[in-house]
Amino acid sequence: MTPEKTPGSTELVRLVAGREISTRLRDRNFIISLVVTVLLLVGLMGFQVAVSSGGDEGRLGVVGDATQIGPAIVAQGEAAGVDVTVVELDDEAAARQAVEDEDVDGALLDADGSQPQLLVQERDSTMEAVVNGAVSGVAISSQLAAAGVEVTEVPQVEVTSLEGDDGNEQERVLTAIIAISLLYGLLIMFGQFVAQGVVEEKASRVVELLLATMRPWQLLAGKIIGLGVLGLAQIVLIGAISIVGALAFDVVDVPGDLISTVVSAILWFVFGYALYASLFAVAASLVSRQEDLGSVLTPTMLALIVGFFIAIQGATDPSSTLAVVTSYIPGLSPLVMPVRQAAGDVALWEVALAVVLMLVAIVAAVRIGGRVYAGALLRTGGRTKLREALAAERA
Amino acid sequence: MLEFDGLRKSFGANQVLDGVSFAVRPGSMFGFCGSNGAGKTTTMRIAMGLARAEAGEVRWHGRPLDQQVRRRIGYMPEERGLYPKMKVGEQITYFARLHGMDAGAAGRASAEWTERLGLGARRGDAVEKLSLGNQQRVQLAAALVSRPEVLILDEPFSGLDPVGVDSLAEALLGQVREGVPVVFSSHQLDLVERLCDSVGILARGRIVAAGTVEELRAAESGRLLRVVVPEAPPGWAGGVPGARVVSEQAGDTLLELAPGTDDQAVLAAALRTGRVTHFAWREPTLVELFRGAVADPRTEDAEVAA
Repeated sequence: MTPEKTPGSTELVRLVAGREISTRLRDRNFIISLVVTVLLLVGLMGFQVAVSSGGDEGRLGVVGDATQIGPAIVAQGEAAGVDVTVVELDDEAAARQAVEDEDVDGALLDADGSQPQLLVQERDSTMEAVVNGAVSGVAISSQLAAAGVEVTEVPQVEVTSLEGDDGNEQERVLTAIIAISLLYGLLIMFGQFVAQGVVEEKASRVVELLLATMRPWQLLAGKIIGLGVLGLAQIVLIGAISIVGALAFDVVDVPGDLISTVVSAILWFVFGYALYASLFAVAASLVSRQEDLGSVLTPTMLALIVGFFIAIQGATDPSSTLAVVTSYIPGLSPLVMPVRQAAGDVALWEVALAVVLMLVAIVAAVRIGGRVYAGALLRTGGRTKLREALAAERA
Repeated sequence: MLEFDGLRKSFGANQVLDGVSFAVRPGSMFGFCGSNGAGKTTTMRIAMGLARAEAGEVRWHGRPLDQQVRRRIGYMPEERGLYPKMKVGEQITYFARLHGMDAGAAGRASAEWTERLGLGARRGDAVEKLSLGNQQRVQLAAALVSRPEVLILDEPFSGLDPVGVDSLAEALLGQVREGVPVVFSSHQLDLVERLCDSVGILARGRIVAAGTVEELRAAESGRLLRVVVPEAPPGWAGGVPGARVVSEQAGDTLLELAPGTDDQAVLAAALRTGRVTHFAWREPTLVELFRGAVADPRTEDAEVAA
């Protein structure tokens, strides 16, 4: 009577996953949250650009030959944190014209002579200091040369920062904090999706109809994989946007660091999601109403929050004992380890160990959790105790 | 044959099913009756793999039901269940696919069944926006959409208005004509009597009576005698050996005769009181059969093989 073949496990899991994805993609709240996240990220990068580029560029016109004074001005500018471009101008008239047209911020007349003059529209102390420094520097060295003094040996000041390579360090910390916040937000969000989905099926009793066609683990796997694919797509999208944006806006100095942080965040999302989604699903299967969800999710949620705070703290001090120890603990490692990796002082074996421990935890959660889920799914009305669910697996 | 064979199940100290056995022929409708809490739902859930029997099994074509066979069974659970926010058409398509139809066939079957059950205009609406009666139709569509070989329906008629009852009955009879065995439970015994080829009554964890309605009547008939004696004094039949008065109202008397009692002796006693205007064996209704079967422990002996 039925020409249709019976669907296999893969087919059933795929069907369940497909339903989860299409339901979420049509969920307005989900789309809005995605758009808001992306906008926030782009806004953050724009902010970075605005802060780092505000008013530290300048154009200076020099009348006459600038071969000597030009490099001196650029060097002085660099010391003062201003990116100065030197433009050669023909005569004083051209210089006045250029300043009035605001083609240049200032024009230097008679740079090599005894009466150097700086024409500006408005007085600008930084510009004045740069020009003064350059003019006097050039004058002193030419006078010394005229007096026959050799100035080849000018001592260079070597700078040693006690906080390490501070520029890149700050950038890494910031990147790590943003990555961890996103990771945390996505884990919570998709964990909640899984939990709500499980309770929705229990509350609406549709689960009885579903279990007449498939086994509990197939339903659970489909749900977790479907939402996981969506979560992965979202974090990859966000990661790609941040890398492309950061390169385009030239926000970061070391793109390699950013890319490796994004990649490790994505990998840790996969592990973290696998564990937390299973735990959320199992906890949710114990209750039959959305209102009761909060109480059963609290312990798992707490673990995530603790991990998040340790990670934020670890971002500023990645080698603290707390950060090192928690970066191995399954459940905390997905949040803490990426921070340590971003700081760059983690050996490969440490990451491998954290991954292995995490995999062990995931396998345990899936096996024990799967039994609880199967036992609790058909027990509607009130809250099922863990022990009951384990004992009652499909009884 | 769809065979339920020796199902046993207990919840704690409560033995709910104590050897439930019956069989349903392809192309026949089986009405499953019993008091509340008798174990009808548990029996059906065991068939669907939603509860595990301690002993016994359910077979289709001689093969014990497993996950593969169950996908060819249409099921309507007692607790109705659908995704509230999913659209009607998509939901039915989804269930068709879970039962093994490919995307194209599932879409066509979904369109066909929503049309046949009068839901064509509501296909794009979320289930939660529908009236309860219409939700029930969606539930039925979900059970029928995959062209199941067997139908197991738990209280399919409950909550339906008379028009809804008629259209559901029509749909089920259509399935039976196509050779599908249909098992449904119901408290509406008149409906069971009208629709079903055979009936099983579940009480105290066992099938206490099973067979066609006629067979049940045959087992019970020869026991209830209606005698109308307008002039008789109250309690006139009290002295007749082997006869028990079930009811008596102004001479309209219902008597239950013990096996072996001579009905002619009853007639003679009636004639002694005066005029006899009515003397006949009475066909028990299913309601009376049900009451007798459920209430009286002696009827356990009166089991009839289906």
